[in-house]
Amino acid sequence: MEFADISGLSQPSQEALKLVLDRCIKCNTCKYAYKEFTPTCPSGESFKFESYWASGRIRIARGLLTKRLEWTEDILHPIFACTTCGACKDSCQAPQKDRIVDIIEALREFAVKSVGAPARQARLDQLVVEHHNPYGNAHSDNADIRAKYHLKPTASVVYFIGCTSNYRQQRLRDATLSVLQKLGVDFTVVDERCCGSPLIRTGQLDLVPGLMRHNVGEIAKTGAKIVVTSCAGCYRTMKQDFAKYGVGIGVEVLHTTELINRELGKAGTKRLQQGGGAGATTVTYHDPCHLGHHIGLFEPPRDLLARIPGVELVEMPRNRTASWCCGAGGGVKIGYPDWALRVAGERVEEARRTGAGTLVSTCPFCKTNLSDANAQAGTGLDVVDLVELIDRAL
Amino acid sequence: MEKLTDRKRSEIKGRLEGIFGPENVTDKVHDLFPYSYDATECEPHMPDFVVLPEYVDQVVAVVKLASESGVPLVPYISGNNIGGLTIPERGGIVVDFSKRMNRILHVHESHMYAILEPGVTFGQLKKHLDDHHPGLRYSYPFAPPFSGAVGNAMLSGMNNMSCAHGSMGDWINGVEVVLHDGTVARVGSCFLGKEFRPDNWHSRYPMPDLLGMFVNWQGMTGIVTKCAVQLWPRRPIETAYVGIAYGFETTAELMRELGRAEVIDDISAVSVEVAKMSVGIPTPIKIPEEPDFALLVPVSALTRKHLEAKYEIIQDVFAKVNRKHGNKTFITKFDTFASLVGEGVRAFYDLPGVVTPLVEYSGLTWFGSYAPPEHLGTLFEKANAIFHKYNFPAFVYSKIMKSGHYGIFRSIIRYKKDSEEDRAHRAMEEFFDLGVEHGCIPYKAPVWMCERLKEHIDPNWLELFKRVKGLMDPKGILNPGRWGV
Repeated sequence: MEFADISGLSQPSQEALKLVLDRCIKCNTCKYAYKEFTPTCPSGESFKFESYWASGRIRIARGLLTKRLEWTEDILHPIFACTTCGACKDSCQAPQKDRIVDIIEALREFAVKSVGAPARQARLDQLVVEHHNPYGNAHSDNADIRAKYHLKPTASVVYFIGCTSNYRQQRLRDATLSVLQKLGVDFTVVDERCCGSPLIRTGQLDLVPGLMRHNVGEIAKTGAKIVVTSCAGCYRTMKQDFAKYGVGIGVEVLHTTELINRELGKAGTKRLQQGGGAGATTVTYHDPCHLGHHIGLFEPPRDLLARIPGVELVEMPRNRTASWCCGAGGGVKIGYPDWALRVAGERVEEARRTGAGTLVSTCPFCKTNLSDANAQAGTGLDVVDLVELIDRAL
Repeated sequence: MEKLTDRKRSEIKGRLEGIFGPENVTDKVHDLFPYSYDATECEPHMPDFVVLPEYVDQVVAVVKLASESGVPLVPYISGNNIGGLTIPERGGIVVDFSKRMNRILHVHESHMYAILEPGVTFGQLKKHLDDHHPGLRYSYPFAPPFSGAVGNAMLSGMNNMSCAHGSMGDWINGVEVVLHDGTVARVGSCFLGKEFRPDNWHSRYPMPDLLGMFVNWQGMTGIVTKCAVQLWPRRPIETAYVGIAYGFETTAELMRELGRAEVIDDISAVSVEVAKMSVGIPTPIKIPEEPDFALLVPVSALTRKHLEAKYEIIQDVFAKVNRKHGNKTFITKFDTFASLVGEGVRAFYDLPGVVTPLVEYSGLTWFGSYAPPEHLGTLFEKANAIFHKYNFPAFVYSKIMKSGHYGIFRSIIRYKKDSEEDRAHRAMEEFFDLGVEHGCIPYKAPVWMCERLKEHIDPNWLELFKRVKGLMDPKGILNPGRWGV
């Protein structure tokens, strides 16, 4: 049998793609939440044909590897029309389960190296080259934040803001800064660049090691032992991808919900105010895929919500390993903006049906897309990040 | 079918888009490719189109289109049949029911049946019953949860109540089927009335059993658009026991005796190697001192005393077999066994679920058959030798059906598709020869197996089969190529 030459791909992608030859009988278990039997795959549910589910993508990868399929413009659609939410990996029961997202990302690198990235996603790479962030905003070295919050160059904790919080969801950024100060955390911010997540998710890896090395260098200069972020995408990238691409981060990586829980657990820490300080009484929680499906971090945000007196959490039917994506990830928000909104719309409607007044998440990208869909649907839900609730309650 | 010309392809695509809407029709090669092969070693074939129906009218329209144009139709649900049954042998249109035509149309509480559209899966049915009809249960096969419930019934699959109630094919009360010319017919007691009514699908008899013209035909005689399956009362106590047995004939006799005792829901025996696979040993070998088989025995009861009485009877069966064969069988409760062997074995009981050894690699194939129970011991022994000859871990799976009227004998091979397929197929050929020699009838049989089977069967049966096929599908559009016709 003849195999395609994949020696030009990154080592992790080569290893992931080789798995498709020996794994996956297409048993369909990846399509729905295991034992819950509920739909969890936005791509498959939207585009229906087998090529749009994880097992179909594995078949496409196998077809390309064994040269039974050829690269065409069309084939990019099933490869890129996927939020890489990882619900499939939580459902799959086969040995490759934890590698399914790796396989899809490897397939994307294979596509980029073979025929180039789709035009819209390719823009991410250009923007990061020009501005160090995928939004095209003028790069900020965060000196203004250090000055405003009187942050020293060295500290025990680095708050890695992330591009979405810094350039799109500044309220979330400011709430995180405020919470860290209110809790007395010895922290600082650095001259950070894109963590690499949007490029990894879209198979555009050329810049990634350089971005990682820059950020690791900036963090190291502070002498910090912990890097904390309120961005689920940055968290997943620093927690898993830095090592995958051979860049040691050298510090403990925490999501803000983990750090805040830790701080609030310390004796003498101030208590949170009744009702979150702003009247949010009944809330529902959306699991960001990069925290939940990708890392398995389901409970710290819920633990934190439980610490706010008077706040009641009402779960959506699809939660934790069965949760439904916000629709933004994997390059979908930029690549397929209308579809991204439809996926988010389904989640917003699910949240509305719980009767909660507030939809809480722990990711600026989820907040962006859920807010966009919420505005479109006019549900009246308040879409906030958990750190904003905590800031109100402290 | 001759290869479609570009003009013809374009014309058919336009008509399909008119029937289903453009977003529910594809002829893109990368979309077609995942439908071109399955887990088995059966030869891949590309379809020309895949369509996603939602309504019966659309199925009627596509059948009429196929009939006019001579383009084959291949019904598809999950493609999990392990027999190549949805591989389009002669190209054509794959009709994928699982995505949009997958509604549970009605559950009749008092008559205990569910009317299903063809795309309904076991997982979906289980959730629906648990959520809305907790007093009823369906049964579940040794298959992933998103396998098609209707497809499995129409192909006489087995399940975890088979010892008590037999094959799923026996549980069909009726079907609605689209014939080759687009005629929609209802078969079973649902034939009463001019229109579809959800309340009259209660039985299959005593009218002439036309259902036989569709069950086990692999989609060659019509396309099923509704199917009523029997449900069962859910008993307050559902549990399981595990037996282990030394010796092939001892195992077979134990199974037969347990079946005849008529106190169990089901019994399935697997090679002891499979228990090791379930706890993560990828290619286990059996140590000589180990037992040959593990047996799973699901039991349900109305009360604790009912269960105790059943357990007493089961223990008596084990004791009887041990008196004859010399203490070669043992029984324990499932929880005890799981704690000894590993929690991975729960997948065998907690159905519908994924039996992890089946999904280990990229290939999965089997010789699956209905077997004479008296030959099971011989089949186990000789199958074991074939597994060793071809250097695959032994994976025999066997059942006693309907108290012992017939049995199930399966030899299963998990393999790496791109490097072990030839070896797996050669082993399958030997399993086939072994099975047929001992009276086994392959089910969900792939094309190659049907071709070989023809050499062993009554030629007049084959003639009758061809005549019925010709009558039901004169233009050869319904899943052509199956059984080589």
